[in-house]
Amino acid sequence: MELLIKNGVVYDPLNEICGEKMDICVKDDKIVSKVKSPKVIDADGKLVMPGGVDIHAHIAGGKINAGRLLRPEDGRKGTEPRGKLTRACTGYSVPNTYATGYRYAKMGYTFVMEPATPPLLARHTHEELIDTPILDNAILALLDNNWMTMEYVKSGETKKLAAYVAWMIKAVKAYGVKIVNPGGDEAWGWGKNVNIDDSVPNFDVTPRDIIGSLAEANEMLNLPHSIHIHCNDLGHPGNYETTLKSFDVIKGRSNKNRQVMHATHVQFHSYGGSSWKDFESKVDEIAKYVNVKKHVTIDMGQVMLGDTTTMTADGPLEYGLHTITGRKWTNLDVELETGGGITPFLYSSKVAVNTIQWAIGLELALLIKDPWKIVLTTDHPNGAPFITYPIVISLLMSRQKREEVMANVHKAINKRAILPSIERELDWNDIAIMTRAAPARILGLDRYGKGHLGVGADADVAIYDVSPEEKEAKKIQSALLRAKYTIKGGEIVVKDGEIVAVPEGRTYWVNPEFDGKPTKDMLGDLTGKFEKYYSVNLANYPVQDAYLPHPIEIKTKV
Amino acid sequence: MQVTLTPKKAFKVPVEAEAIKPDNFAGKGKSEIESIALWHGNKEVKLGSLFDVKVEGVDKEGAKIVIEGDASRIKRIGEGMTSGEITINGNVDMHCGAMMSGGKVIVKGDADAWAGREMRGGELVVEGNAGNYLGAGYWGVEKGMRGGVIRVKGDAGDYVGGHMGGGEIIVKGSAGLLPGLNMSGGKIIIEGDVTLPGGEMKNGMIVIKGKVLEMLPSFRFEGTEIIDSLKLKKFTGDLTRGGSGTLYVNIIPEE
Amino acid sequence: MTITDVLCPFCGALCDDVVVEVENNKIVEVKEACEMGVSKMMGHERITTPMIRESGELKETTYEDAVDKTAEILVNSIRPLIYGWSSTTCEAHKKGIELAEEMGAVIDNTASVCHGPSILAIQNVGLPSCTLGQIKNRADLIIYWGSNQAEAHPRHMSRYTSFPRGFFSEEGRKGKKVVVVDVRKTTTVEVADEFIQVAPGEDYPVLSALRAILAGEEDIVPSCVGGVSKERLIELVEKMKDARFGVIFFGLGLTHTRGRHNNVVNAISLVRELNAHTKFVIMPMRGHYNVTGFNQVCTWETGFPFAVDFSRGQPWYNPGETSAVDILNRKECDSALIVASDPAAHFPRKSVEHLAKIPLIQIDPYPNPTMELADVVIPSAIAGVEVEGTAYRMDKVPIRLRKVIEPNHLSDEEILGRILDKVRERRGE
Repeated sequence: MELLIKNGVVYDPLNEICGEKMDICVKDDKIVSKVKSPKVIDADGKLVMPGGVDIHAHIAGGKINAGRLLRPEDGRKGTEPRGKLTRACTGYSVPNTYATGYRYAKMGYTFVMEPATPPLLARHTHEELIDTPILDNAILALLDNNWMTMEYVKSGETKKLAAYVAWMIKAVKAYGVKIVNPGGDEAWGWGKNVNIDDSVPNFDVTPRDIIGSLAEANEMLNLPHSIHIHCNDLGHPGNYETTLKSFDVIKGRSNKNRQVMHATHVQFHSYGGSSWKDFESKVDEIAKYVNVKKHVTIDMGQVMLGDTTTMTADGPLEYGLHTITGRKWTNLDVELETGGGITPFLYSSKVAVNTIQWAIGLELALLIKDPWKIVLTTDHPNGAPFITYPIVISLLMSRQKREEVMANVHKAINKRAILPSIERELDWNDIAIMTRAAPARILGLDRYGKGHLGVGADADVAIYDVSPEEKEAKKIQSALLRAKYTIKGGEIVVKDGEIVAVPEGRTYWVNPEFDGKPTKDMLGDLTGKFEKYYSVNLANYPVQDAYLPHPIEIKTKV
Repeated sequence: MQVTLTPKKAFKVPVEAEAIKPDNFAGKGKSEIESIALWHGNKEVKLGSLFDVKVEGVDKEGAKIVIEGDASRIKRIGEGMTSGEITINGNVDMHCGAMMSGGKVIVKGDADAWAGREMRGGELVVEGNAGNYLGAGYWGVEKGMRGGVIRVKGDAGDYVGGHMGGGEIIVKGSAGLLPGLNMSGGKIIIEGDVTLPGGEMKNGMIVIKGKVLEMLPSFRFEGTEIIDSLKLKKFTGDLTRGGSGTLYVNIIPEE
Repeated sequence: MTITDVLCPFCGALCDDVVVEVENNKIVEVKEACEMGVSKMMGHERITTPMIRESGELKETTYEDAVDKTAEILVNSIRPLIYGWSSTTCEAHKKGIELAEEMGAVIDNTASVCHGPSILAIQNVGLPSCTLGQIKNRADLIIYWGSNQAEAHPRHMSRYTSFPRGFFSEEGRKGKKVVVVDVRKTTTVEVADEFIQVAPGEDYPVLSALRAILAGEEDIVPSCVGGVSKERLIELVEKMKDARFGVIFFGLGLTHTRGRHNNVVNAISLVRELNAHTKFVIMPMRGHYNVTGFNQVCTWETGFPFAVDFSRGQPWYNPGETSAVDILNRKECDSALIVASDPAAHFPRKSVEHLAKIPLIQIDPYPNPTMELADVVIPSAIAGVEVEGTAYRMDKVPIRLRKVIEPNHLSDEEILGRILDKVRERRGE
């Protein structure tokens, strides 16, 4: 099967192509330099980009499913009947797996990272990914509140820690290491929480130690992605200091291919003030840091004003949110490993704090000068459902659109946010970087054919029916919400904003090589943990091959 | 204009008929009305295949719909209606008048469960008895009924006005278990007897003019007041979670 | 041959430490499991061959004809009901949901008659919970409310709660308090430290009283609530607040008595409010080994956990309307397909009467009362013994069921796949 995408206006930042009118050739599932007898797609005057790459969206697994179960009132929003090719769709902030696949594909996205899987429940995440059509995917394993990890951090046995990380990633078929409120969930096992320099109860380590050691293990294993961190102190006034301290833990480290720390949904971590009353944006401080340092990249975690469902592995945070709103709350602590919580949340334009949160995400994207350092996310569904990405993009591209919104929100935005003073408007190249090229590079997936359109890349392409000169926010939004074409692995999956094919997605997982004595010693410790403390047997723990029908194995070496 | 619908037979598999509402009939002739789509089980069917349709008068002040015969297996009549009037000369199935925001529905017989679910405005009159979840919310919603009036001449089932946030429900007879559950606004008046009223009540008012067969242990007695010329005992609660709802009761059980 | 780390396909505790001895493709011994688990795995009378009822008698037939007859019945229905699912794999659930969607059917599982009310309660207030290992390692106060797990989940206490020594509970049983709240003195009481007897149907007011006391409103609580003295209630609240890590496990004594899901709302709310004082969690004692799994799969595939009506293409969820018992009581459905469950034995009489009147298909390894009413009977392999696949433990931990012997029958998943193909063929798709 060959395709020729003719005369499109191509944005392919990883190959330094910025709005050039050119053709893209596809043969089977790859981008090639020439084709012989292709099906021709006329892309004249249309935007052509690599398929979108979402670096952080809670699309599959125990948390999102507990969110769906918690919210039938969200489930009944946006229901669509079964189609000739498509399964029935439900949900807005907590869409079913089918809606997730179709809606992303319609927006031109072809890869999504599920960023927070408790290893014990990884089978569940993979089961949902099997039922999430079209999208290529991968998962990050939560390894920071883990007893084995904390014990090795305390004893300083970094090689055994690396052996453990390697074993776990392979066992649960994950792609990388996720850290969420390090130490906080273990403390939450007793209803408590910790900050970066507090000692974790009963384990005698600090979150700072955990971050440093996991980063060291991560780099020792030469994993494609860096550690991926949700910092301590999320969502609290004044937390920007904790965020900067967290960034600073590994400031001396570097890696020639990529950052050594990816901090996620930094919007939720850029807050000043000492209470909700003097809550303010501290994006200036965060941007100042990120602009001059090379070791850290971030994603936005943009908030959009409206109703959504918050869900994170940060158990104490979700309980805290619930005590503020009084709304329903689910908690799911996972033995020896992690925790999690879910509560619905309304970001209201009438509430000062929510309005400032909305501004902060945009400020991050606009004040950080290098778009390679900041990825567009809403931390779906925490800041907003992923389906709002087109609106976020239109806000970043249009100061006028931002001003229209600011005119109708709480006036605190004028004093306690920076956004009103920002004139910058991003262009399509910036957007292509923030939504494809940068996330692919940050994840290390650029080396495996994602995020670009160079020869040999995966034939994942989005074509949007909008002129590069278009300024009107509405037109930008509708073009991005319903791609003219989405091509996934060389197959046209969306045409004129409708699903026309439903291939199954592939799951990327990393098989880190780390043999020898540390692994043997670690396995001895691990066996003890299973015999004494886990509620399942070790033999039943690793995720079986049956749960990855379309695996892409990435082998790494020390 | 008046449209009279007569079911051609008694249905076993329920008909889903939210399309039967004045908003949808206004300005339409007989054949147009007959071609309105309804659902019968998993089949989409034309209204005319299930009902005989009679149209009288012309459309000036909104349509009035009259349903003759047995509607006890016709669900969702008047769901989401904003204006006009529907009279059902018999019993009606679930979700009658659900999510309505205006107009009036009169049920001459009994209404099955979820009548007036999540109502926003308008008036729903049930001359017979109402089933469970009268004027209640949908699963998971924090506010169910927010406006409008529901009047029941007979009895009502369990969970009347669950999650009610506004509007008024008046039951002339008795009601079942836990009326006013999770109520945060609005008013429920029950002239007969009930059991365990006001569970999780945050705000709003419940008036029980008959007897409460069993009281919750989490309401505070505040004294007596005269309401509608009845001397009633006043309680506040539900204090399980600091609620400030008001519950008036005529007769409480002896301890 | 000895096979270790086998999962027990019986109750929601989903023990995964069973040892099975197999000789000549026959299980000769089952170790570590409870009596009920042993009995299930050792096996008993099976349906040997597919059957179709002709003039009142079940007559032996082929899989092909039984599947074709099933497709014919389903295609000719306008409101088919597809029900069961709690004793089979998630892989079978997926096929069942696809079939329901394709047919415009209502699909429901046995939660509808056990912990369905718990799910409705969660949708109202959420569920502060955790995995069972968390309880094993941390809990020092364990409350069983309306649940006699000594009989229903025999190894629950020894594996996960009262008895095991955990990381923070090295003393095992000695360091833990076990309280039973129930309407009668169950066998669980024998191994508990305390028993609180509640009058039948009075759980809701008792829970309200506990919450009022916890909220500092004890002055308004009457001297006796639901048969329990105020002093006793105050004492229990103090005990709960003093725990380092407390847990309430609840069963059908809460979900199927007066107040139903609202009892559970009240219990969950109590636990939620206890978190202002200490760590507290709550968990439903799910019955069948994979009842939780169906709710999980159904939720991610349809957006809703059970009682999903696909008649209009997009799912409509409304337990009380779209749940199996209600649909049968109201005589709404015009055919039914039952998979891996036995409604004729467990449903109210009125429901069973309608089941007897409509075309009925049964897919199950075992003969049971539902088979006596069925028009088509399709035997299946036993999931977790003859078929591998996914199951979710009561705490939503997914584990893979092992296959220990080769089946002589098709799996539920295969049978449903064949039915789906036949349905499509009959509709000319």
